[in-house]
Amino acid sequence: MSIASPAERDQLNQLLIQTGRNDQRAFAELYNRTSAKLFGVCLRMLRDRGEAEEVLQETYTTVWRRAAAFDAARASAITWLITLSRNKAIDRLRQRREEILDDPSVLDAIVDERPAPATDAQTSQEHLHLQNCLDELEPQQRDSVREAFFTGATYNELAVRCKVPLGTMKSWIRRSLIQLRTCLDQ
Amino acid sequence: MNTTAEEADDRLRYAEYVLGVLDADARAAVAQEVQSTDEAAAAVALWQRRLMPLAEEIVEVAPARHVWTRIRDLLPLERAASRQPRRELWNNLPLWHWIGIGAGAVAAACVVMLLTYPQQPSAPTAVAAGYMVAALQQDNGVTGWTATMDLQRSRMVVVPATPAALAQGRAAELWLIPAGQKPISVGVITRDKPTTLTLLPALLARLGPTAVLAVTVEPAGGSPTGQPTGPVIAKGAISGSPDAPDRRSAASHNDGHAKRTAA
Repeated sequence: MSIASPAERDQLNQLLIQTGRNDQRAFAELYNRTSAKLFGVCLRMLRDRGEAEEVLQETYTTVWRRAAAFDAARASAITWLITLSRNKAIDRLRQRREEILDDPSVLDAIVDERPAPATDAQTSQEHLHLQNCLDELEPQQRDSVREAFFTGATYNELAVRCKVPLGTMKSWIRRSLIQLRTCLDQ
Repeated sequence: MNTTAEEADDRLRYAEYVLGVLDADARAAVAQEVQSTDEAAAAVALWQRRLMPLAEEIVEVAPARHVWTRIRDLLPLERAASRQPRRELWNNLPLWHWIGIGAGAVAAACVVMLLTYPQQPSAPTAVAAGYMVAALQQDNGVTGWTATMDLQRSRMVVVPATPAALAQGRAAELWLIPAGQKPISVGVITRDKPTTLTLLPALLARLGPTAVLAVTVEPAGGSPTGQPTGPVIAKGAISGSPDAPDRRSAASHNDGHAKRTAA
């Protein structure tokens, strides 16, 4: 079952709530159902299995400790989990940012590495809506936003990758964010 | 003349934070802000909702088995470590804010934790001075709402956990049922956000470990008769200590909540 389906989302919410009550079996099940997605998130950003495994481990030990603070009325469990893993992966990226900037070949290698497009069968209404709004952006700006989201790159890194001045990249992204907000909140 | 544009730019930092484009320093600054102000936490939560659907495109990759083994090995340590943190957790407002929880929900979230440490008999009295709590369980065993009663301020905050759906045009009404007495209406509660209810003296006087809170399905606006007319969908016993000296931390959390619900 896809994580995008409403039934699966409800089940994940339940599992995370039970995890918050120190239910280790619920936690194990939650891990079974979500670790591949979260590992995908970490791997996409860190591009290193060992590091992605470490961040995944940190993510789930944090989940265990913080699950009691999860509020299904505020966010779905999967959003909560993905946010947590992205934050940890981005923090890790920032720690080694200099190494990456020193090695442009790494950047060239990853620019084409786009995630496989989601098929309609496994995509949610929210994703379709976001996709439609992204489609309204200028192609370069859309690509920059997507690149930023999936790789966790800084403005600086994005500017280097796209070979544009830093100011241009900032205004592309900011304009895109404003446009996305308008479109998504309609 | 530029103020509006600058302000707009300034507020975009929350979006930039969620997207992930900020450098380490700017990122740390926003993270700090999220921990200390409700406004920043709410703005970040909103941007997470807007942008996180993109993650659906990320290809799943099964991690190696040893990752789970390592995590599992850490769990007993975490359990042992969870002995002392009650106060610490209660006081750790930034932690709750980080995930976008309202301050009022802090109490309820703590309650969930407290009620789920049955191996620690002293837990309920540690709930926080001057507070009483109840987890309202539904028939399926899932908590529908958690209620936190602030005795000093004569009010109750009812936070939805996973309440069951109601038919169109029906409302959930909360009742206090003192042992051997008729139910007293506390008020209509919602399924999608915390409800703050004022506790009249007659209600306050009857709160206690022998009383029960129950939720029934009623017509929109609440029972027309003053007594329950529909089925009970959730109930729970009240626990906690009505009298304890130190109310400082709890009260300050509730100030935050009052602001939020009033907004």
